[in-house]
Amino acid sequence: MKKLNIVFLLVVVAVAVFLSVLAPSAMQGLQAKFLSVLAPFLRTGTAVQAQLGTVGKGLKTLDELEVDNRRLQEENRELLATNNLLRDIEAENNQLRSALEYRERSVFKLLPARIIGRDSSSWWNTVKINRGFEDGAETDQPVLTETGLVGKITTVAKNESIVVLVTDETCRVAAKVEGSREQGILSGKRLQESGTAGELQLNFLTKNAMLEPGQKVYSAGVSNGVFPSGILLGTVKEFRTRPLDGQAVIEPAVDLSQTEDVFVVVGAK
Amino acid sequence: MRAAIGLLASFAGVFVALLVQQAIPPVHAFEGARWLFVPAIFCLAAISLPFPAMLGAALFTGFLCDLAYLHVVGGQVEIALGCSIIFFVILGSVANGFRPSFERGRWWPLVPLSAVGTSSFLLLQFAMISLRRQSLEIEAAVAWRILLPGALAAVFSVALYFAVRQLEGLLPSPSNPGRGF
Repeated sequence: MKKLNIVFLLVVVAVAVFLSVLAPSAMQGLQAKFLSVLAPFLRTGTAVQAQLGTVGKGLKTLDELEVDNRRLQEENRELLATNNLLRDIEAENNQLRSALEYRERSVFKLLPARIIGRDSSSWWNTVKINRGFEDGAETDQPVLTETGLVGKITTVAKNESIVVLVTDETCRVAAKVEGSREQGILSGKRLQESGTAGELQLNFLTKNAMLEPGQKVYSAGVSNGVFPSGILLGTVKEFRTRPLDGQAVIEPAVDLSQTEDVFVVVGAK
Repeated sequence: MRAAIGLLASFAGVFVALLVQQAIPPVHAFEGARWLFVPAIFCLAAISLPFPAMLGAALFTGFLCDLAYLHVVGGQVEIALGCSIIFFVILGSVANGFRPSFERGRWWPLVPLSAVGTSSFLLLQFAMISLRRQSLEIEAAVAWRILLPGALAAVFSVALYFAVRQLEGLLPSPSNPGRGF
């Protein structure tokens, strides 16, 4: 091998070693800059995907159209009959709905955000959102929807952030179970079933917890923790005892494969 | 001059491949296995470029992959920056060994290199995560997520080779300096 090639090789290895010993915050800083470079392409891609999705949804077979048509004619007759009764209720309903808007009734100060990219790796569960430090987002801020917890921010760029989802094995939440004194640590799984909402596991429960399917699980809100108390995490699907503790399989409250709009908890009201 | 063009083209190819990978959803039928184009593009660069240019491509590709897959939670880094650079230097050095035969027209080593390179990249990630989390999970999904992208990369590398060869025909060469767009 030529001497010059050996020198080049040593330089590249030295750069790799230098990068590997950087502090995590420095690595996140580099990742944030990289995310800012990718962001315009991701945003464009998301917009194009949304447009293409709309086109695809409009295409149906003749059989499907015929079934739809029959169903709609029946619905139309029913709706005509009930329409008159519902006029007065409509105004009242609109008032109540606006009053119940999640953002308004939430005890948290929420920053609305949109998912602009999903993780392209095989081993991690993360998404990218269109809010960064310019919008008030910070590392470790919880991300949720009106139905429950989504995850927490790990890396913040100028106008984008990376959110590790609650379905990821590395995202751990102190959790409590509704209707019991049971508390445990909730985390995702390393390998989630593809194309589904995924599953969570609630560990370190007592062996005689005997949780029932359908019981709700909320964040416990430990002191100096990331997640405030009372955020819905999911519902119990199954409970099993292990040699030293009990473990529950939890169905996530939010279907993270379908979610598009989220809120970042930027503080308390 | 051709090496410089090749290197710049590999930079552009890797960057575009990273973006495209983001947009393509996983293959749900195969346990969420994903398309990975980057190792195949890098292998083509490594097998066709001189050694110093290959090192440049390995540095660029590894750095971008590290940034794309960096996972930091609670101050803990799962795979540190620089690991992918070392991986691509090793993969590139192996691929570069096939360069003389590649220049004589034997392009087929690109196919197994792309397949093995893609699968070993994923295997390396999985091994490092298992090491970091101090637990090993052996499931069928792991095999699918490691092996299928390798098989897909093998198919992709053939298409990539012939596409690049068509484009290369448009560049001026010593035998035909006037050739161009």
